[in-house]
Amino acid sequence: MTCPIETRENAELLLDYCARKLDAETTRLLERHMQGCPACREFRAGQKLLWDALDAWEAMPVSGDFNRRLYRRIEEESRAGWRQRLMAWASWRPALPVAAAACLVLAGSFILRNPAVVPDVSPEAVVTEVEQVERTLDDLEMLRQLNLVARVEDSSRTM
Amino acid sequence: MGAAVALEYDAELMLRVKEGDGASFAVLLDKYRGPVIHFLYRMVQNRSIAEELAQEVFLRVYRSRATYEPAAKFTTWLFRIATHLALNWLRDGRHEKGQEQLDANAGPLPMREVADRRPTIEHALLYQAKLEEVRQAVAALPDKQRAAVLMHKYEEMEYSQIARVLNCSESAVKSLLFRAYETLRGRLAHMA
Repeated sequence: MTCPIETRENAELLLDYCARKLDAETTRLLERHMQGCPACREFRAGQKLLWDALDAWEAMPVSGDFNRRLYRRIEEESRAGWRQRLMAWASWRPALPVAAAACLVLAGSFILRNPAVVPDVSPEAVVTEVEQVERTLDDLEMLRQLNLVARVEDSSRTM
Repeated sequence: MGAAVALEYDAELMLRVKEGDGASFAVLLDKYRGPVIHFLYRMVQNRSIAEELAQEVFLRVYRSRATYEPAAKFTTWLFRIATHLALNWLRDGRHEKGQEQLDANAGPLPMREVADRRPTIEHALLYQAKLEEVRQAVAALPDKQRAAVLMHKYEEMEYSQIARVLNCSESAVKSLLFRAYETLRGRLAHMA
């Protein structure tokens, strides 16, 4: 086995060995190597001392009301979220009349440019259309009568 | 095997939280509240700050539930948030921290019943002195090295996980750890 101290890429072997994370086969190989390697034995001794010292640093107790405080914050945040959404909506309110006016202007200009696209179907328009048809029919009737008169006059002249 | 099962279960719980299951969030909170607070405490060495940051960690987890995707281990994601917050706090608050003692708001130091069986007050004082040296030695490490050591030693995270948390390569993590342990061995050698 290559000395883990000498080859930096294998140095984790020593760390894992001290943390008891190595598999049985690698542990056996490393222990055999350490028997003849003072540098690795020194590393192992130092790391074991360090490991024991770090173990002495126990975890702190957690406050009993940690969860309660967290859930209160979550609740406050969700309530604030609704408020913020409302505020965001309210902050757009002054712009609504402007937006509505802009929409009207756009719609008006569209209709003016494309009158055929938007048919006028208002009741007044329907009434006007009927009147126009009636007037046209009257005109045709008048023309027909005029033609009849003209034809009678022509025939009387030829007689 | 056990870790893989735990991973799937945690991710599954988080996916349930995503679907609006508050009970699953409570399970995750109970499971990881301790590890996250302990990690943060060892990072910032102030109990109230550690709890405050832990609250922020779980708030962020809850806020991110809608966009959660189990792309990595749940613990990797969780400790990534925790490390990010701790490193930011250390960066932003270093000038203020210099004026206050480590663990200034801690009150009495935590001692478990088992560890408290030392027969004499001298032993207790020795223990406290030793603990203080360990804490000072860890606190003196560069922030990233400290985070790597805490995740490796106390949370028993794999190199690949630590690498993802610290956003660096696995070989960079090994190098960080090797240097950090080397420094700690040097500083704490007299405790032998």
